[in-house]
Amino acid sequence: MTLMATPLEAERPLYFGEGGELFGLYHAPGGRAGKAVLLCAPLGQEQIRCHRIYRQLAHALAAEGMAVLRFDYYGCGDSAGASAEVDWLRCIADTQAAAAELRRRSSVAQVVAFGARLGGSIALEAASPAHFAGLVLWDPVLDGDAYIARLDALQDELRVDPKRFGAPRPPAAAAGQWTGFAVSDRLRRQLAGLRPAPVPVPALLLDSLGPAAPRPWDRLGLGAERVRTLSATPWDDLARLEQAILSRPLIQAVANHLREPA
Amino acid sequence: MREQAFRFGRAHHLVGIAGMPDRRPANVPEALEPVGVIVLNAGLVHRIGPFRLHVELTRRLNACGYPTLRFDLSTVGDSGASGESRTRTAQVCADAGDAMDLLQRQAGCSRFVLVGLCSGAQNAHTVACTDAKVAGAVFLDGYAYRTAGFHLRHTLPKLVDPRRWWRLLARRRQVAAARGEPVFAVERLPRPVVRADLAGMLDRGLRLCLIYSGGINRYFNHASQFRECFGRLVERPGICTAFDREADHTYVLAGDRQRLLDSIERWLTLNFPIPGTGHSP
Repeated sequence: MTLMATPLEAERPLYFGEGGELFGLYHAPGGRAGKAVLLCAPLGQEQIRCHRIYRQLAHALAAEGMAVLRFDYYGCGDSAGASAEVDWLRCIADTQAAAAELRRRSSVAQVVAFGARLGGSIALEAASPAHFAGLVLWDPVLDGDAYIARLDALQDELRVDPKRFGAPRPPAAAAGQWTGFAVSDRLRRQLAGLRPAPVPVPALLLDSLGPAAPRPWDRLGLGAERVRTLSATPWDDLARLEQAILSRPLIQAVANHLREPA
Repeated sequence: MREQAFRFGRAHHLVGIAGMPDRRPANVPEALEPVGVIVLNAGLVHRIGPFRLHVELTRRLNACGYPTLRFDLSTVGDSGASGESRTRTAQVCADAGDAMDLLQRQAGCSRFVLVGLCSGAQNAHTVACTDAKVAGAVFLDGYAYRTAGFHLRHTLPKLVDPRRWWRLLARRRQVAAARGEPVFAVERLPRPVVRADLAGMLDRGLRLCLIYSGGINRYFNHASQFRECFGRLVERPGICTAFDREADHTYVLAGDRQRLLDSIERWLTLNFPIPGTGHSP
Protein backbone atom coordinates (compact mmCIF):
# COMPACT_ATOMS: atom_id res chain seq x y z
CA MET A 1 0.00 0.00 0.00
CA THR A 2 1.28 3.45 -0.86
CA LEU A 3 0.30 6.17 1.58
CA MET A 4 0.27 9.55 -0.11
CA ALA A 5 0.38 12.76 1.82
CA THR A 6 -3.08 14.30 2.03
CA PRO A 7 -3.19 18.05 1.47
CA LEU A 8 -4.15 19.77 4.70
CA GLU A 9 -6.78 21.80 2.87
CA ALA A 10 -8.57 18.54 2.09
CA GLU A 11 -9.02 17.84 5.81
CA ARG A 12 -11.78 20.17 6.90
CA PRO A 13 -12.95 20.68 10.51
CA LEU A 14 -16.65 21.48 10.72
CA TYR A 15 -19.77 21.44 12.85
CA PHE A 16 -22.89 19.78 11.46
CA GLY A 17 -26.20 18.21 12.44
CA GLU A 18 -29.22 19.82 14.05
CA GLY A 19 -28.15 23.03 15.73
CA GLY A 20 -24.56 22.43 14.53
CA GLU A 21 -23.88 20.40 17.67
CA LEU A 22 -21.66 17.71 16.17
CA PHE A 23 -17.97 18.15 15.38
CA GLY A 24 -16.41 16.35 12.45
CA LEU A 25 -13.40 16.33 10.16
CA TYR A 26 -14.11 15.68 6.52
CA HIS A 27 -11.28 14.19 4.48
CA ALA A 28 -11.95 14.91 0.82
CA PRO A 29 -10.39 12.53 -1.70
CA GLY A 30 -8.04 13.91 -4.37
CA GLY A 31 -10.55 13.46 -7.20
CA ARG A 32 -14.10 12.18 -7.45
CA ALA A 33 -14.81 9.90 -4.49
CA GLY A 34 -15.18 6.23 -5.32
CA LYS A 35 -16.37 5.24 -1.88
CA ALA A 36 -17.34 6.97 1.33
CA VAL A 37 -16.28 5.76 4.76
CA LEU A 38 -17.68 6.92 8.11
CA LEU A 39 -15.34 6.45 11.06
CA CYS A 40 -17.36 5.83 14.25
CA ALA A 41 -15.28 6.56 17.34
CA PRO A 42 -15.34 4.53 20.55
CA LEU A 43 -16.50 6.24 23.75
CA GLY A 44 -14.62 7.67 26.72
CA GLN A 45 -10.89 7.20 27.04
CA GLU A 46 -10.84 4.73 24.15
CA GLN A 47 -11.83 7.61 21.87
CA ILE A 48 -8.84 9.68 23.00
CA ARG A 49 -6.51 6.68 22.67
CA CYS A 50 -7.78 6.00 19.14
CA HIS A 51 -7.70 9.60 17.90
CA ARG A 52 -4.32 9.23 16.21
CA ILE A 53 -5.06 5.94 14.48
CA TYR A 54 -8.43 7.22 13.24
CA ARG A 55 -6.63 10.19 11.69
CA GLN A 56 -3.99 7.94 10.12
CA LEU A 57 -6.72 5.65 8.79
CA ALA A 58 -8.63 8.61 7.35
CA HIS A 59 -5.48 9.81 5.57
CA ALA A 60 -4.80 6.35 4.18
CA LEU A 61 -8.35 5.95 2.87
CA ALA A 62 -8.47 9.49 1.42
CA ALA A 63 -5.20 8.73 -0.37
CA GLU A 64 -6.97 5.71 -1.91
CA GLY A 65 -9.67 8.01 -3.33
CA MET A 66 -12.27 7.58 -0.59
CA ALA A 67 -14.21 10.35 1.11
CA VAL A 68 -13.95 10.00 4.89
CA LEU A 69 -15.73 11.63 7.82
CA ARG A 70 -14.52 11.38 11.42
CA PHE A 71 -16.91 12.78 14.01
CA ASP A 72 -17.65 13.10 17.73
CA TYR A 73 -20.97 12.02 19.25
CA TYR A 74 -22.92 14.47 21.43
CA GLY A 75 -21.09 14.73 24.78
CA CYS A 76 -17.80 13.52 23.26
CA GLY A 77 -14.68 15.22 21.88
CA ASP A 78 -15.36 18.67 20.47
CA SER A 79 -19.10 18.13 20.05
CA ALA A 80 -21.61 19.93 22.24
CA GLY A 81 -22.75 18.38 25.50
CA ALA A 82 -21.11 17.21 28.69
CA SER A 83 -19.50 13.78 29.11
CA ALA A 84 -22.27 12.77 31.53
CA GLU A 85 -24.84 13.44 28.78
CA VAL A 86 -23.59 10.71 26.43
CA ASP A 87 -26.60 8.62 25.49
CA TRP A 88 -26.62 5.39 23.49
CA LEU A 89 -29.65 6.24 21.37
CA ARG A 90 -28.26 9.70 20.70
CA CYS A 91 -24.97 8.10 19.54
CA ILE A 92 -26.92 6.05 17.00
CA ALA A 93 -28.90 9.10 15.86
CA ASP A 94 -25.65 11.10 15.57
CA THR A 95 -24.18 8.32 13.43
CA GLN A 96 -27.16 8.59 11.08
CA ALA A 97 -26.68 12.37 10.93
CA ALA A 98 -22.96 11.88 10.21
CA ALA A 99 -23.73 9.40 7.42
CA ALA A 100 -26.10 11.93 5.87
CA GLU A 101 -23.44 14.65 6.15
CA LEU A 102 -20.87 12.40 4.48
CA ARG A 103 -23.27 11.57 1.63
CA ARG A 104 -24.05 15.25 1.16
CA ARG A 105 -20.41 16.33 1.06
CA SER A 106 -19.07 13.46 -1.04
CA SER A 107 -22.05 12.88 -3.34
CA VAL A 108 -21.51 9.17 -2.73
CA ALA A 109 -24.64 7.28 -1.71
CA GLN A 110 -23.00 4.08 -0.47
CA VAL A 111 -21.34 4.55 2.88
CA VAL A 112 -19.27 1.94 4.71
CA ALA A 113 -18.84 2.39 8.48
CA PHE A 114 -15.75 1.55 10.52
CA GLY A 115 -15.76 1.40 14.31
CA ALA A 116 -13.51 0.28 17.15
CA ARG A 117 -14.90 -1.09 20.45
CA LEU A 118 -18.20 0.69 21.26
CA GLY A 119 -17.76 2.59 17.98
CA GLY A 120 -18.14 -0.78 16.25
CA SER A 121 -21.20 -1.59 18.34
CA ILE A 122 -22.74 1.79 17.46
CA ALA A 123 -22.01 1.27 13.74
CA LEU A 124 -23.64 -2.14 13.99
CA GLU A 125 -26.79 -0.73 15.63
CA ALA A 126 -26.93 2.12 13.12
CA ALA A 127 -26.32 -0.11 10.08
CA SER A 128 -29.98 -0.42 9.07
CA PRO A 129 -31.28 3.07 9.93
CA ALA A 130 -28.17 4.71 8.39
CA HIS A 131 -28.32 2.40 5.35
CA PHE A 132 -24.67 1.41 5.54
CA ALA A 133 -23.41 -0.61 2.59
CA GLY A 134 -20.87 -2.42 4.74
CA LEU A 135 -19.19 -2.56 8.13
CA VAL A 136 -15.63 -2.94 9.38
CA LEU A 137 -15.67 -3.72 13.10
CA TRP A 138 -12.54 -3.67 15.27
CA ASP A 139 -13.02 -5.57 18.53
CA PRO A 140 -16.66 -4.46 18.83
CA VAL A 141 -18.32 -4.73 22.24
CA LEU A 142 -20.99 -7.42 21.99
CA ASP A 143 -21.60 -8.15 25.66
CA GLY A 144 -22.66 -5.01 27.49
CA ASP A 145 -22.70 -6.59 30.96
CA ALA A 146 -19.13 -7.88 30.62
CA TYR A 147 -17.97 -4.49 29.32
CA ILE A 148 -19.56 -2.65 32.26
CA ALA A 149 -18.01 -5.09 34.73
CA ARG A 150 -14.57 -4.58 33.18
CA LEU A 151 -14.82 -0.76 33.24
CA ASP A 152 -16.08 -0.81 36.85
CA ALA A 153 -13.12 -2.99 37.79
CA LEU A 154 -10.69 -0.70 35.97
CA GLN A 155 -12.14 2.33 37.75
CA ASP A 156 -11.71 0.58 41.09
CA GLU A 157 -8.09 -0.29 40.26
CA LEU A 158 -7.47 3.26 39.10
CA ARG A 159 -8.52 4.96 42.34
CA VAL A 160 -5.95 2.98 44.34
CA ASP A 161 -3.21 3.00 41.68
CA PRO A 162 0.00 4.06 43.50
CA LYS A 163 1.54 5.21 40.22
CA ARG A 164 -1.27 7.76 39.88
CA PHE A 165 -2.22 8.76 43.43
CA GLY A 166 -0.03 9.34 46.49
CA ALA A 167 -2.78 7.82 48.64
CA PRO A 168 -5.75 5.65 47.62
CA ARG A 169 -8.87 7.65 46.86
CA PRO A 170 -12.18 6.72 48.50
CA PRO A 171 -14.79 4.91 46.36
CA ALA A 172 -17.03 8.00 46.44
CA ALA A 173 -14.37 10.05 44.61
CA ALA A 174 -14.38 7.58 41.73
CA ALA A 175 -18.10 6.78 41.65
CA GLY A 176 -20.17 7.40 38.53
CA GLN A 177 -17.12 7.50 36.27
CA TRP A 178 -15.19 5.23 33.92
CA THR A 179 -11.50 5.94 33.45
CA GLY A 180 -11.75 9.70 33.46
CA PHE A 181 -15.29 10.25 32.20
CA ALA A 182 -18.56 10.80 34.04
CA VAL A 183 -21.12 8.13 33.14
CA SER A 184 -24.86 8.47 33.66
CA ASP A 185 -27.02 5.70 35.10
CA ARG A 186 -28.99 5.81 31.87
CA LEU A 187 -25.92 4.98 29.75
CA ARG A 188 -25.06 2.12 32.11
CA ARG A 189 -28.57 0.72 31.72
CA GLN A 190 -28.44 1.15 27.96
CA LEU A 191 -25.10 -0.66 27.69
CA ALA A 192 -26.25 -3.40 30.06
CA GLY A 193 -28.87 -4.33 27.51
CA LEU A 194 -26.41 -4.38 24.64
CA ARG A 195 -26.77 -7.63 22.66
CA PRO A 196 -26.22 -6.81 18.98
CA ALA A 197 -28.14 -8.82 16.40
CA PRO A 198 -26.36 -10.51 13.47
CA VAL A 199 -24.85 -8.05 11.00
CA PRO A 200 -27.39 -6.99 8.39
CA VAL A 201 -24.80 -6.01 5.74
CA PRO A 202 -21.45 -7.37 4.44
CA ALA A 203 -18.86 -7.00 7.18
CA LEU A 204 -15.25 -7.57 8.12
CA LEU A 205 -14.32 -8.19 11.75
CA LEU A 206 -10.82 -7.34 12.98
CA ASP A 207 -9.96 -9.27 16.12
CA SER A 208 -7.12 -7.98 18.33
CA LEU A 209 -8.44 -9.03 21.74
CA GLY A 210 -5.54 -11.37 22.42
CA PRO A 211 -5.60 -15.11 23.08
CA ALA A 212 -7.25 -15.10 26.53
CA ALA A 213 -10.30 -12.94 25.80
CA PRO A 214 -13.77 -14.38 25.20
CA ARG A 215 -14.91 -14.07 21.58
CA PRO A 216 -18.65 -13.86 21.08
CA TRP A 217 -18.18 -13.25 17.34
CA ASP A 218 -20.59 -16.05 16.40
CA ARG A 219 -23.41 -13.74 17.54
CA LEU A 220 -22.69 -11.63 14.48
CA GLY A 221 -23.36 -14.50 12.10
CA LEU A 222 -20.09 -13.94 10.25
CA GLY A 223 -18.22 -16.74 8.53
CA ALA A 224 -14.64 -17.39 9.58
CA GLU A 225 -13.43 -15.88 6.29
CA ARG A 226 -14.82 -12.51 7.43
CA VAL A 227 -12.67 -12.44 10.60
CA ARG A 228 -9.02 -11.33 10.56
CA THR A 229 -6.81 -11.70 13.59
CA LEU A 230 -4.32 -8.95 14.47
CA SER A 231 -1.77 -8.73 17.27
CA ALA A 232 -3.29 -7.96 20.68
CA THR A 233 -4.38 -4.40 21.50
CA PRO A 234 -3.97 -3.38 25.19
CA TRP A 235 -7.48 -1.96 25.57
CA ASP A 236 -7.81 -2.79 29.30
CA ASP A 237 -4.26 -2.20 30.56
CA LEU A 238 -4.42 0.47 33.27
CA ALA A 239 -0.69 1.17 32.92
CA ARG A 240 -1.35 2.26 29.32
CA LEU A 241 -4.55 4.19 30.02
CA GLU A 242 -3.13 7.37 28.52
CA GLN A 243 -1.14 5.82 25.67
CA ALA A 244 -2.32 6.04 22.08
CA ILE A 245 -3.45 2.87 20.31
CA LEU A 246 -1.46 2.57 17.10
CA SER A 247 -1.45 -0.27 14.56
CA ARG A 248 -0.09 -0.12 11.04
CA PRO A 249 -1.44 -3.64 10.27
CA LEU A 250 -4.94 -2.47 11.23
CA ILE A 251 -4.78 0.43 8.79
CA GLN A 252 -3.48 -1.84 6.05
CA ALA A 253 -6.19 -4.44 6.70
CA VAL A 254 -8.98 -1.84 6.51
CA ALA A 255 -7.53 -0.16 3.41
CA ASN A 256 -7.04 -3.51 1.65
CA HIS A 257 -10.58 -4.58 2.47
CA LEU A 258 -12.16 -1.32 1.31
CA ARG A 259 -10.06 -1.25 -1.85
CA GLU A 260 -11.82 -4.41 -3.02
CA PRO A 261 -14.75 -3.81 -5.37
CA ALA A 262 -18.09 -3.91 -3.55
CA MET B 1 -21.53 29.81 24.32
CA ARG B 2 -20.85 29.32 20.62
CA GLU B 3 -18.08 27.13 19.28
CA GLN B 4 -16.61 27.29 15.81
CA ALA B 5 -14.04 25.04 14.16
CA PHE B 6 -11.10 26.56 12.30
CA ARG B 7 -8.24 25.53 10.09
CA PHE B 8 -5.78 28.38 10.42
CA GLY B 9 -2.16 29.41 10.72
CA ARG B 10 0.58 30.69 8.42
CA ALA B 11 0.56 27.40 6.48
CA HIS B 12 -3.13 26.74 7.11
CA HIS B 13 -1.88 23.75 9.06
CA LEU B 14 -3.48 24.21 12.49
CA VAL B 15 -6.88 23.03 13.74
CA GLY B 16 -8.67 24.62 16.66
CA ILE B 17 -12.02 25.34 18.27
CA ALA B 18 -12.85 28.92 19.19
CA GLY B 19 -15.44 29.40 21.90
CA MET B 20 -17.26 32.70 22.26
CA PRO B 21 -19.26 33.97 25.22
CA ASP B 22 -22.94 34.49 24.55
CA ARG B 23 -22.81 38.15 25.47
CA ARG B 24 -20.04 40.58 24.67
CA PRO B 25 -19.69 43.70 26.79
CA ALA B 26 -20.76 46.76 24.77
CA ASN B 27 -18.68 49.95 24.36
CA VAL B 28 -15.76 48.62 26.35
CA PRO B 29 -12.40 50.42 25.92
CA GLU B 30 -9.63 48.18 24.52
CA ALA B 31 -7.77 48.19 27.83
CA LEU B 32 -10.81 46.61 29.47
CA GLU B 33 -11.58 44.05 26.75
CA PRO B 34 -11.68 40.55 28.22
CA VAL B 35 -8.48 38.61 27.69
CA GLY B 36 -8.62 35.68 25.30
CA VAL B 37 -7.65 32.31 26.75
CA ILE B 38 -5.52 29.97 24.63
CA VAL B 39 -5.19 26.34 25.74
CA LEU B 40 -2.15 24.39 24.52
CA ASN B 41 -1.85 20.62 24.06
CA ALA B 42 -0.99 18.48 27.07
CA GLY B 43 1.62 16.14 25.63
CA LEU B 44 0.31 14.36 22.54
CA VAL B 45 -3.36 14.39 23.57
CA HIS B 46 -5.36 16.30 20.97
CA ARG B 47 -6.93 19.64 21.80
CA ILE B 48 -9.84 18.25 23.89
CA GLY B 49 -7.27 17.56 26.63
CA PRO B 50 -6.85 14.63 29.02
CA PHE B 51 -10.32 13.26 29.82
CA ARG B 52 -11.78 16.29 27.96
CA LEU B 53 -10.30 18.73 30.49
CA HIS B 54 -9.75 21.45 27.88
CA VAL B 55 -13.35 21.23 26.63
CA GLU B 56 -14.69 21.59 30.16
CA LEU B 57 -12.28 24.44 30.90
CA THR B 58 -12.95 26.49 27.76
CA ARG B 59 -16.73 26.10 28.08
CA ARG B 60 -16.60 27.14 31.74
CA LEU B 61 -14.56 30.24 30.81
CA ASN B 62 -16.90 31.06 27.90
CA ALA B 63 -19.76 31.03 30.41
CA CYS B 64 -17.78 33.55 32.49
CA GLY B 65 -17.40 35.84 29.47
CA TYR B 66 -13.93 34.93 28.12
CA PRO B 67 -13.31 34.03 24.48
CA THR B 68 -11.19 30.88 24.20
CA LEU B 69 -9.28 28.80 21.70
CA ARG B 70 -8.21 25.19 22.22
CA PHE B 71 -6.02 24.06 19.36
CA ASP B 72 -3.44 21.53 18.20
CA LEU B 73 0.18 22.59 17.76
CA SER B 74 2.01 21.59 14.55
CA THR B 75 2.01 17.79 14.04
CA VAL B 76 -0.07 17.17 17.19
CA GLY B 77 -3.72 16.04 17.10
CA ASP B 78 -5.34 17.16 13.84
CA SER B 79 -2.75 19.79 12.95
CA GLY B 80 -0.22 19.16 10.21
CA ALA B 81 3.34 20.30 9.70
CA SER B 82 3.95 23.87 8.59
CA GLY B 83 6.67 22.78 6.17
CA GLU B 84 9.07 25.32 7.65
CA SER B 85 12.59 24.62 8.80
CA ARG B 86 12.47 25.83 12.40
CA THR B 87 13.35 24.52 15.82
CA ARG B 88 10.46 23.04 17.80
CA THR B 89 10.61 26.03 20.15
CA ALA B 90 10.28 28.46 17.24
CA GLN B 91 7.41 26.36 15.84
CA VAL B 92 5.56 26.49 19.16
CA CYS B 93 5.99 30.27 19.39
CA ALA B 94 4.82 30.76 15.80
CA ASP B 95 1.83 28.42 16.31
CA ALA B 96 0.81 30.23 19.49
CA GLY B 97 1.17 33.52 17.62
CA ASP B 98 -1.14 32.21 14.89
CA ALA B 99 -3.62 31.11 17.56
CA MET B 100 -3.62 34.57 19.19
CA ASP B 101 -4.09 36.22 15.78
CA LEU B 102 -7.10 33.99 15.10
CA LEU B 103 -8.75 34.70 18.44
CA GLN B 104 -8.05 38.41 18.02
CA ARG B 105 -9.80 38.35 14.63
CA GLN B 106 -12.75 36.40 16.00
CA ALA B 107 -13.22 38.04 19.39
CA GLY B 108 -11.40 41.35 19.20
CA CYS B 109 -9.18 40.62 22.20
CA SER B 110 -5.59 41.82 22.05
CA ARG B 111 -4.24 40.35 25.32
CA PHE B 112 -4.09 36.65 26.10
CA VAL B 113 -3.74 34.17 28.90
CA LEU B 114 -2.06 30.86 28.04
CA VAL B 115 -3.01 27.63 29.79
CA GLY B 116 -0.90 24.48 29.60
CA LEU B 117 -0.50 21.19 31.43
CA CYS B 118 2.85 19.38 31.61
CA SER B 119 4.58 19.93 28.24
CA GLY B 120 1.79 22.44 27.58
CA ALA B 121 3.02 24.40 30.61
CA GLN B 122 6.58 24.30 29.25
CA ASN B 123 5.33 25.55 25.88
CA ALA B 124 3.24 28.26 27.55
CA HIS B 125 6.35 29.29 29.51
CA THR B 126 8.38 29.54 26.29
CA VAL B 127 5.77 31.70 24.57
CA ALA B 128 5.16 33.86 27.64
CA CYS B 129 8.89 34.68 27.79
CA THR B 130 8.86 36.45 24.46
CA ASP B 131 5.39 37.33 23.18
CA ALA B 132 4.20 40.79 24.19
CA LYS B 133 0.55 39.86 23.69
CA VAL B 134 0.67 37.41 26.58
CA ALA B 135 -0.76 39.03 29.72
CA GLY B 136 -0.86 35.96 31.92
CA ALA B 137 -0.37 32.22 32.10
CA VAL B 138 -1.62 29.20 33.98
CA PHE B 139 1.10 26.58 34.33
CA LEU B 140 -0.25 23.17 35.43
CA ASP B 141 2.55 20.94 36.68
CA GLY B 142 5.02 23.28 35.04
CA TYR B 143 8.65 23.72 35.97
CA ALA B 144 9.65 22.50 39.44
CA TYR B 145 12.79 21.03 40.91
CA ARG B 146 13.69 18.73 43.76
CA THR B 147 14.90 20.68 46.79
CA ALA B 148 16.47 19.76 50.13
CA GLY B 149 12.98 20.07 51.62
CA PHE B 150 11.61 17.69 49.03
CA HIS B 151 14.26 15.07 49.86
CA LEU B 152 13.59 15.39 53.58
CA ARG B 153 9.83 15.04 53.16
CA HIS B 154 10.32 12.20 50.71
CA THR B 155 12.93 10.22 52.58
CA LEU B 156 12.23 10.66 56.29
CA PRO B 157 8.93 8.73 56.36
CA LYS B 158 10.59 5.87 54.51
CA LEU B 159 13.31 5.49 57.12
CA VAL B 160 10.81 4.56 59.81
CA ASP B 161 8.48 2.39 57.73
CA PRO B 162 9.66 -1.14 56.82
CA ARG B 163 6.96 -1.49 54.11
CA ARG B 164 8.42 1.52 52.36
CA TRP B 165 11.90 -0.05 52.50
CA TRP B 166 10.45 -3.10 50.78
CA ARG B 167 8.73 -0.98 48.11
CA LEU B 168 11.91 1.05 47.57
CA LEU B 169 13.90 -2.13 46.93
CA ALA B 170 11.21 -3.38 44.54
CA ARG B 171 11.27 -0.09 42.66
CA ARG B 172 15.08 -0.24 42.40
CA ARG B 173 14.72 -3.65 40.76
CA GLN B 174 12.14 -2.23 38.33
CA VAL B 175 14.41 0.71 37.50
CA ALA B 176 17.33 -1.66 36.92
CA ALA B 177 15.15 -3.81 34.65
CA ALA B 178 13.99 -0.77 32.70
CA ARG B 179 17.53 0.58 32.26
CA GLY B 180 18.45 0.66 28.61
CA GLU B 181 14.87 1.26 27.45
CA PRO B 182 14.51 4.46 25.44
CA VAL B 183 13.09 7.42 27.34
CA PHE B 184 11.13 10.08 25.50
CA ALA B 185 10.98 13.22 27.56
CA VAL B 186 11.46 16.93 27.11
CA GLU B 187 14.59 18.11 28.84
CA ARG B 188 13.80 20.70 31.47
CA LEU B 189 15.41 24.09 31.52
CA PRO B 190 17.92 24.67 34.37
CA ARG B 191 16.43 26.19 37.50
CA PRO B 192 18.31 29.54 37.30
CA VAL B 193 17.04 30.03 33.76
CA VAL B 194 13.44 29.34 34.79
CA ARG B 195 13.78 31.64 37.81
CA ALA B 196 15.08 34.44 35.56
CA ASP B 197 12.32 33.77 33.02
CA LEU B 198 9.59 33.96 35.67
CA ALA B 199 11.10 37.13 37.13
CA GLY B 200 11.21 38.64 33.63
CA MET B 201 7.55 37.80 33.06
CA LEU B 202 6.56 39.42 36.36
CA ASP B 203 8.69 42.48 35.54
CA ARG B 204 6.71 42.82 32.31
CA GLY B 205 3.47 42.80 34.31
CA LEU B 206 2.32 39.27 33.53
CA ARG B 207 0.06 37.51 36.02
CA LEU B 208 1.04 33.92 36.68
CA CYS B 209 -0.83 31.02 38.22
CA LEU B 210 1.14 27.86 38.97
CA ILE B 211 -0.81 24.81 40.10
CA TYR B 212 0.97 21.60 41.04
CA SER B 213 -0.69 18.20 41.49
CA GLY B 214 0.10 15.23 43.69
CA GLY B 215 0.77 13.30 40.49
CA ILE B 216 4.29 14.74 40.27
CA ASN B 217 5.31 13.60 43.74
CA ARG B 218 8.57 12.23 42.31
CA TYR B 219 9.84 15.82 42.33
CA PHE B 220 7.23 18.02 44.06
CA ASN B 221 5.58 17.14 47.36
CA HIS B 222 4.63 20.27 49.32
CA ALA B 223 2.96 23.63 48.85
CA SER B 224 6.11 25.37 50.10
CA GLN B 225 8.31 23.79 47.44
CA PHE B 226 7.78 26.60 44.95
CA ARG B 227 9.39 28.97 47.46
CA GLU B 228 12.17 26.43 48.01
CA CYS B 229 12.72 26.33 44.24
CA PHE B 230 12.44 29.97 43.34
CA GLY B 231 12.89 31.89 46.61
CA ARG B 232 11.29 35.31 47.06
CA LEU B 233 9.68 35.22 43.63
CA VAL B 234 6.66 33.77 45.40
CA GLU B 235 6.20 37.08 47.26
CA ARG B 236 5.70 39.06 44.06
CA PRO B 237 2.08 40.22 43.76
CA GLY B 238 1.63 38.91 40.21
CA ILE B 239 2.22 35.28 41.09
CA CYS B 240 -0.09 32.73 42.65
CA THR B 241 0.84 29.13 43.46
CA ALA B 242 -1.21 26.18 44.64
CA PHE B 243 -0.68 22.50 45.36
CA ASP B 244 -3.42 19.86 45.12
CA ARG B 245 -1.89 16.88 46.86
CA GLU B 246 -4.85 14.56 46.21
CA ALA B 247 -5.11 15.04 42.45
CA ASP B 248 -3.15 13.05 39.88
CA HIS B 249 -1.16 14.61 37.04
CA THR B 250 -3.98 14.55 34.44
CA TYR B 251 -6.98 15.00 36.78
CA VAL B 252 -8.61 11.68 35.96
CA LEU B 253 -11.31 12.03 38.64
CA ALA B 254 -14.21 14.34 37.83
CA GLY B 255 -14.21 15.95 41.29
CA ASP B 256 -10.50 16.81 41.05
CA ARG B 257 -11.10 18.25 37.60
CA GLN B 258 -13.92 20.45 38.88
CA ARG B 259 -11.71 21.68 41.73
CA LEU B 260 -9.03 22.61 39.19
CA LEU B 261 -11.55 24.44 37.00
CA ASP B 262 -12.80 26.32 40.07
CA SER B 263 -9.23 27.42 40.87
CA ILE B 264 -8.51 28.61 37.34
CA GLU B 265 -11.83 30.44 37.07
CA ARG B 266 -11.28 32.12 40.44
CA TRP B 267 -7.76 33.23 39.52
CA LEU B 268 -8.80 34.47 36.09
CA THR B 269 -11.81 36.47 37.27
CA LEU B 270 -9.69 38.02 40.01
CA ASN B 271 -6.74 38.94 37.80
CA PHE B 272 -8.49 39.58 34.49
CA PRO B 273 -12.00 40.66 35.45
CA ILE B 274 -14.74 40.85 32.85
CA PRO B 275 -15.90 44.48 32.65
CA GLY B 276 -19.11 45.00 34.54
CA THR B 277 -18.81 41.96 36.82
CA GLY B 278 -17.62 43.88 39.84
CA HIS B 279 -14.28 42.07 40.18
CA SER B 280 -11.18 44.20 40.37
CA PRO B 281 -7.58 43.03 40.12
